[in-house]
Parts: sequence; structure tokens; C-alpha cells
Amino acid sequence: MTASDQKARDAFVALADTLVADFDIIDFLDVLTGHCVDLLGVTSAGVLLVDHRGTLNVVAASTEQARVLELFQLQNQEGPCLDCYHSGEVVACADIAAVVERWPLFARAAAEAGFAAVHALPMRLRETVVGGLNLFSAQPGPLSADVVGLGQALANIATIGILHQRTVRRDGAVIEQLQSTLNSRILIEQAKGVLAERLQVTVEQAFVLLRGYARRTSRQLAEVATDVIDGSADVPAIAAHDPIPTE
Amino acid sequence: MTMLVRHACAACAQALNARGAGLSLARGTGLGEPVCAVGPGVDELEELQFTLGEGPSVDAAAGMAPVLVSDLSGADSGRRWPMFAPAALHRGVRAVISVPLRAGAIHAGVLNVYWATPGAPTQDELADLLVYADATMLLLMGANGIATGRPGITGNGFDERRAEVHQAVGMISVQLGIGVEEALVRLRAHAYAEERRLAEVAREVVERRLRFSPRTSGNPAGDGPGPAKEEDR
Repeated sequence: MTASDQKARDAFVALADTLVADFDIIDFLDVLTGHCVDLLGVTSAGVLLVDHRGTLNVVAASTEQARVLELFQLQNQEGPCLDCYHSGEVVACADIAAVVERWPLFARAAAEAGFAAVHALPMRLRETVVGGLNLFSAQPGPLSADVVGLGQALANIATIGILHQRTVRRDGAVIEQLQSTLNSRILIEQAKGVLAERLQVTVEQAFVLLRGYARRTSRQLAEVATDVIDGSADVPAIAAHDPIPTE
Repeated sequence: MTMLVRHACAACAQALNARGAGLSLARGTGLGEPVCAVGPGVDELEELQFTLGEGPSVDAAAGMAPVLVSDLSGADSGRRWPMFAPAALHRGVRAVISVPLRAGAIHAGVLNVYWATPGAPTQDELADLLVYADATMLLLMGANGIATGRPGITGNGFDERRAEVHQAVGMISVQLGIGVEEALVRLRAHAYAEERRLAEVAREVVERRLRFSPRTSGNPAGDGPGPAKEEDR
């Protein structure tokens, strides 16, 4: 077994462990996108979910930098993740500079954010595509078949994580879980805003503080977010750590 | 507003071949009073859940996701809602879906749809129901405290879901010392009055080029100075 095999195995074991206990979906996806970056050798990874209007929503990303989140969202107009959602197939783009005509808006924004290649892997539940795993690389070039395979396994785990709490055989369970996940994410965004304003930091820095505090205190991100919004959180304790993002 | 919400409930019930639909407002994180009921016996069922403090509507108000009940005569339903389930059956209701009108920490209310026959809706019907729920939430939020006399639908559905809109809502709630519900109303009112996209205004807030001030924000949208541009201060 090579070192990267071992790393992959450890990541899957860690993710499976998280799935067993009562877990928070946003925390889970946050960890999962971190593993994507480590294991797949990409620069940024994001999980996008489709809502009932067919809109792609970012629910987790390895980096919360505004311009990267924007790049995920932009794909509601054009881009690999949108194409991946419609086709249900992997969309690989080894050189973003070469697709300016196909996705003019997306290609420009991606280049500005410092990305040269992008891959979108479908998150599929039987016949239905519920979202996509979006992988950005700073260097041009295709991901190897092995890496795409591993990425698809991680995308499948993300899907399982989102739909895990209830059996998906029951009608409606999928929509319940998707709605719940989307709402949890909105909660985090609102808390980022509240914290950013209270501490006079950027929203990215606010997220780093929020996540750091949740991990230090072994609490769920959504739970801490709720406290921040309703004013019951210990803001000085959240601010106690260096607000400089690690990115 | 009441008429519009009533129309939304009626259209929703009709589109989903339901017996009726009802709407209850949220109070804090719990269920508040029923404000609208369309269809036979629906007003009673809405009242009942409010009074008993149990039922799918109560559970939906406390959660993040819709509550789907395909057969109220099932043992599960009886255990979960020992008083509500038999009462609903007695009134000829067999299935119900309760959709929380929610965006993160913002609770507007719960939309309930009642069927006389058991069964689960298709994925398409569910998606339609969620669109009705979105529309109803927009109507409720628009009616809440905006003195424009116009329904407060600004921007489009997509804008409402942008990350920076939610972030701006959090920031504005601190700037004005108000709840997130009202902060969203203020943000939308401002965008509407200035005829600008919601996401665009939200971005200005997040980038700290626009700040809402308590002194001026009491003005109805469209009147008075409204929020202050950072450079003016």
C-alpha cells in the first residue's frame, strides 16, 4: 500500500466514523471537502446541491474565500457544474483558458481567481442528480482516471451523508434532507454576517473563527451558528483565536 | 396581503389536488397563530395544532425540513400525535404535508396542505409545493413592516439564495439591533426602493460599502435617506 492509499483509507475511515454518530451535515461536508483537497491534489473543492428550482447552492467548500464561493454560484448561469448536473456525467476541463467560448463568464472569473483547470463530478442518487462535487486546480492538466475515481467515491459519500439520516426509500425523504441541508447552510451564512459585524472582521475570517470555536468546543457548527444569531453565543471566546484565515 | 396569501394557499391546494391548505405564522422558534385556511375543516385543524401544541405543523415549525405524513391512520402518526391524528381523521383528512417557511434562522411560518386520501406526492408535486411555499414566504416577508403598500417581491428567487444575501442579513441585524427576519425585510425594501438587485445590494453590505443605520432605517422604503454609503459618513 502506498502512502496515498493509506491516506485515502484513513480519510474514508474517518468519514465513515462521522456518519455513525449523530452528526451535523455541514460539519461533515466541511471535513469532506478538506479531504478532497488533500487526497485529490486539487486547490479547492466545493459541494453544490440543487434545490427545487434547479438552482445550484454551495453547501460546503474547502475555502470560504468570497471569490471562490462566487465561482461556484456563478455556475447557475454557465460552467462545468451546471453541465454536470444536466448531463449527470463527469465534466472535465483540463485547461480553462481553452473554454472561453464555451463558458465566457465562468472562464474569466476562474482565471481571475487563479484557477487553470476544473472538474465537476455528479452527486447521484439512483436516477436523480442531486448536486455536484466541484474541483478546482491552480495548474492546468487533467486529473488521472484514478483520481477521478477517488473523487467520485468522495462525491458518493457526500450524497450518502446528506441523505443518511432517514431511509431514502420513503417518498419525499430526499427532499426533506436536501431542504434541511440547504437551511443549515443558510444558517451558517447568516451567522458569518452577524459575527463579521460584531467583531469587525471579514465574513471569511468570521467563518474561520466560527469553525475553530465549534471544533475547540466539540460542538456542531449549526448549533454555534444558531447561538451567534440569537445572541446567546460567547463572542469573546469565539474571537479568542487569531482571525487570520489559514488559506 | 391577507388576500394574496389566501390566493397562494388556494392555488397551492388546487394545484396539488388537495382538500385544503392553511398557513400559520411563526412565533420565535415555535408555532404561532393560524392566519389563513382554505378548504373544509382546515381552519379547525390549524387551530387545533396551535391549541394542542402538537401535529405536523408544530414539528415543521421546530425543524428545518418539511414533515410528510402519507397516512394519518398509521401507528406512527398515532404515537407521534396522539391527539391531533384522530382529530384529523375524524374530519376526513388522511394525509398532510407541513412545509416550514424558513431560511436559516428566519422563521416566517408553516404552510400545511391536507388531503382526504392517503398517499405520498410525487417528486414533481413536492417540488411544486416548495415553490408555493417560497412564494408564500416572500408574501409574508414583504408584508412584514414595509410601508410601501406593494408586495415586497424584489429581485428573483435565485438572488434570495445567494450566500452574500444571507451574510448581509446577519450584518444588518447587528447594525440595526434587530432580528434576522426584519433585517431581510430591510435589505429587500432597500433593493426594491433603489430598483437594484438584491445580491448587488447585499454585496455592498458585505464589502462594507453600504451600512444600515438605526437613525434612518425607520423610514419606509423609498422615502428619506435610508442606509448610508460608507464614504458619506
